[in-house]
Amino acid sequence: MMNACFTPEERERLARASVLLIGCGGLGSPVAYELAAAGVGRIGLCDMDEVDLSNLQRQVLHHTADVGRPKVESGREKILALRPGTQVDLHPVTLTSENALELFRQYDLILDGSDNFATRYLVNDACVLTGRPQVHGSIFRFDGQVTTFVPGQGPCYRCIYPTPPPPGSVPSCAEAGVIGVLPGFIGSLMAMEALKLLAGRGTGLTGRLLIYSALDMDVAEVQIRRNPECPVCGDHPTIHELIDYEQFCGGVGA
Amino acid sequence: MSLTEQDILRYARHIIMPEVGGRGQKRIKAASVLVAGLGAAGSAAALYLAAAGVGRLTLWDPAELTEADLTQAIAHARSSLGQSRAASARGKLLAINPDAAVAASADPDALPDLVAGHQVVVATAGDWEAVQSAVLQAGASAVFAGVQGAAGAALAHRPGTACLGCIPAEERDRAGLRPEGEGCAVAAAGGVVGTVAATEALKLILDIGSPLTDRLWAYDGWTARFRETGVSRRPDCPLCGGD
Repeated sequence: MMNACFTPEERERLARASVLLIGCGGLGSPVAYELAAAGVGRIGLCDMDEVDLSNLQRQVLHHTADVGRPKVESGREKILALRPGTQVDLHPVTLTSENALELFRQYDLILDGSDNFATRYLVNDACVLTGRPQVHGSIFRFDGQVTTFVPGQGPCYRCIYPTPPPPGSVPSCAEAGVIGVLPGFIGSLMAMEALKLLAGRGTGLTGRLLIYSALDMDVAEVQIRRNPECPVCGDHPTIHELIDYEQFCGGVGA
Repeated sequence: MSLTEQDILRYARHIIMPEVGGRGQKRIKAASVLVAGLGAAGSAAALYLAAAGVGRLTLWDPAELTEADLTQAIAHARSSLGQSRAASARGKLLAINPDAAVAASADPDALPDLVAGHQVVVATAGDWEAVQSAVLQAGASAVFAGVQGAAGAALAHRPGTACLGCIPAEERDRAGLRPEGEGCAVAAAGGVVGTVAATEALKLILDIGSPLTDRLWAYDGWTARFRETGVSRRPDCPLCGGD
């Protein structure tokens, strides 16, 4: 099973590559299928949730019969149904400051499809500390963002978002809603960027933030730069180990 | 078309948004969409339209599912090898949403006649000129979208806007707006273009946002660049004749 869009050398690189998906929900769904289809050798799924009926309008990795099952198990089945040779490693855990570094060191690339700010900062800091590139995506109602953070080659998430929004100021997906196809678009862009990094071809999104509006069908591009003062990837970093991200994002003691 | 209690739970993330709401979800449920081509872009479009709650879907693709398809189109499974791509995708769509009425056609000659009776056509393969003519005759809407390699393009049409024929063939070709054929495609790029097609189909059904009508949209995956070209109706268009 080979895809002629990739050269033999690129296919070999993809087959040897490993990617960790943070979240098997809206963003993780297209990514899981599309990385498996392209022949990425090892895919790690990190999610501790179970499939809920309200997930199914956007999380196409899961079938109606999967409601109530762990997302990582449902995800593994779909990946193997498309490409049986894929090694799928399951991490049915909450990503924490205690387990993130060890987990990230087992993979070449991290794909952040998480849905909350504490996890985004945790993923970012863990990527910087382990030197792992990260493809980042986020969605909100009809809008989304995508970029790639490569340690040493451009900004990190903290460079462009130094502080989290005040708790409660940004409604969740459940509170604000989301058009089901939106994570399909953002997740597919993320998968394409991951494939480029792993295959070693094309121009990536390092230093470029894409801002998407589904209602306008418009993609705007913003140049983003590394902040020399960044506490985690700047010239004089002050963060040398993972912190308490719930506290950081909850504003406790701030 | 009313919503069941299960519908309200399943589509809660749609219903909570004023742009969709209960009324919009009912419109999605009452809608019928024909997806022509279940390759890279068509697969993603069909999956997301079924997940979004489109009540009736017709899938057309005469090709038999091959090993190569499994490396580039995500609406299929290895266990469906040997089936038509339309039948394979039908099984996948029903697993995602058993409430949808999904029909599959693998008859190579059926396509233009299938258009009548559908509100929106998502065309990723087949004879696009014939599809556009049938869409004009039926007064339906359409989204043309396709991926070659890691690049693709899309255009939406609804009555009164520029049709496929209003864009000279060379211009379409330059933008990458072509039906998918035998060539390879990257599934992720198919996902990008196919979800744009599904988004536009939903916007046409809901009558929200700025549709991709009179706008030729293109994506290049290897550079992550997007481009848009304005297009307009041509009085001498061979398909719509400007009327």
